[in-house]
Amino acid sequence: MSDDVDDTDMTDTTTDAAADSEAGASADADSDLPPHRAAPRSGRLDSEERQGTPYTESQVIMPTVKIVAPFAFTFGLFITFHGSGSPGGGFQGGAIMAAVVFMIAFAFGIESTRDWLANTVVVALAVGGALAFAGIGLVPVALGGAFLQYDLLPIPILDPVKYGMEGVEVVGIAPIVSGVLMGLFFLLARGFNSEGSGFGNGSLGEDGSIDETGSLEEDAADAGGDR
Amino acid sequence: MSVVDAALVAGYTVGDFLLLAAAGFTVLAIGMLYRAVKGPTMQDRVLAVNVLGTNTVVILAILSAALSEPTFLDIALVYALLNFLMAIAISKFTVERGGVL
Amino acid sequence: MTVSGFASPVAAQVTAIEASLLAFVVLTALATALARDVLAAVIVFGAYSLGMAALYTFYRAPDVALTEAAISAGVTTVLLLLTLAKTTRIDHDAVFEEVNLPAAGAAGFLFAGLLLTMGDIPAIGSPDAPVWSNPDVTQWYLTETYAQTHVENTVMAVLAAFRGFDTFGEAVVVFAGGIAALIVLHREVFA
Repeated sequence: MSDDVDDTDMTDTTTDAAADSEAGASADADSDLPPHRAAPRSGRLDSEERQGTPYTESQVIMPTVKIVAPFAFTFGLFITFHGSGSPGGGFQGGAIMAAVVFMIAFAFGIESTRDWLANTVVVALAVGGALAFAGIGLVPVALGGAFLQYDLLPIPILDPVKYGMEGVEVVGIAPIVSGVLMGLFFLLARGFNSEGSGFGNGSLGEDGSIDETGSLEEDAADAGGDR
Repeated sequence: MSVVDAALVAGYTVGDFLLLAAAGFTVLAIGMLYRAVKGPTMQDRVLAVNVLGTNTVVILAILSAALSEPTFLDIALVYALLNFLMAIAISKFTVERGGVL
Repeated sequence: MTVSGFASPVAAQVTAIEASLLAFVVLTALATALARDVLAAVIVFGAYSLGMAALYTFYRAPDVALTEAAISAGVTTVLLLLTLAKTTRIDHDAVFEEVNLPAAGAAGFLFAGLLLTMGDIPAIGSPDAPVWSNPDVTQWYLTETYAQTHVENTVMAVLAAFRGFDTFGEAVVVFAGGIAALIVLHREVFA
């Protein structure tokens, strides 16, 4: 059983980075490290900020992901765009495209992928998808019809019903699903924020448990007030 | 009338034999499941689930042929692509209990 | 849709693959529930999704099978692993959890009760099944989809057009799930 490591504390990346940079420096000296723990390559800007994760430099996984990821992403686009003629649709295609991002994150390091795919992109996908879906639904309402009454959509030349549905799938559901799944991935990779700097409960005290109960009571009060 | 519907032996069509082959692959998958559940180390389980995924791709492709539904091959493709993701995720996780994630 | 398997002179092959797939799914489900090590449970759960996708494909529900494939293989396993990476590991000697007998008894009674209703359920693929033969819902969708929406995939037409408002609600639920994860984890940004 690979039950050797108890170091599950992922939050203190600074100490890990320091320890691993030391390990990399000593690897040059006596080189008695295990083979998978290669020294960080010099000359790369991000090599020290990657919390010394030597496994992300895997010579098998990285080229394979470089080859597979474009095909998988294209296939996700195909599933999304071709949902009207074959099995699939926005939900499945969005999930596949999010899975491609997971794949890239596993190969090149989650923190690097987090920097590459900024929070703006993730939020823009999720919020933009929801707004686009609502917008496509509300245009017929503005024109005097019902919500999502596709045949009133002002689409010239093309068939408004078919392309309205395609629009909902492509610019509505797929971005929501892929954005939210990517966001969940990055959120879970970072973990629980025990410092209490989350939504508006940072001033209740320095103890996390006090924050917890305070925010819960606030939420309960809000919920009761809404009802 | 496609190849799948052609009768081979005693009224059995090609599709019937393909379904039988898919059933055989499923029985093999049950055998591989033993390694995934028991498997003393995590590496055994990773390999087992990877083989199971490949096995499933074959089963899905055979089902697609046997049921004369070419679009079912999309599912096999999705599994082939994402099984790779599952394999690298679990294998990287087992290196240092998620320390390298 | 062709039904070559069902129209064959002997239905034994259909039963064979159904039986083997169902056995695989039930075994993986039991192993997931009983596995002592959580990582083993996650891995076996991935195997469970493989069997379910094949079963859905065999029952000619490719959209459901595709969703199962994309979500289970691509997303659920990865998210569970990331969550596990935040936990500590307890060493176990036993492979399986000890079965809680009262809980197993309750589950057994529920299973037996559900089994009693099996006699009234129409056979799989039966043309007389109410879910297939009613003229107002299923047959109406199958005959009217192309005429009204000009798309070939009836599932997508039902989701995006006939039940578009429900789908909008589902999309908003997915969005709200992301927001809920932010709140639960005390974060303000996703990435």
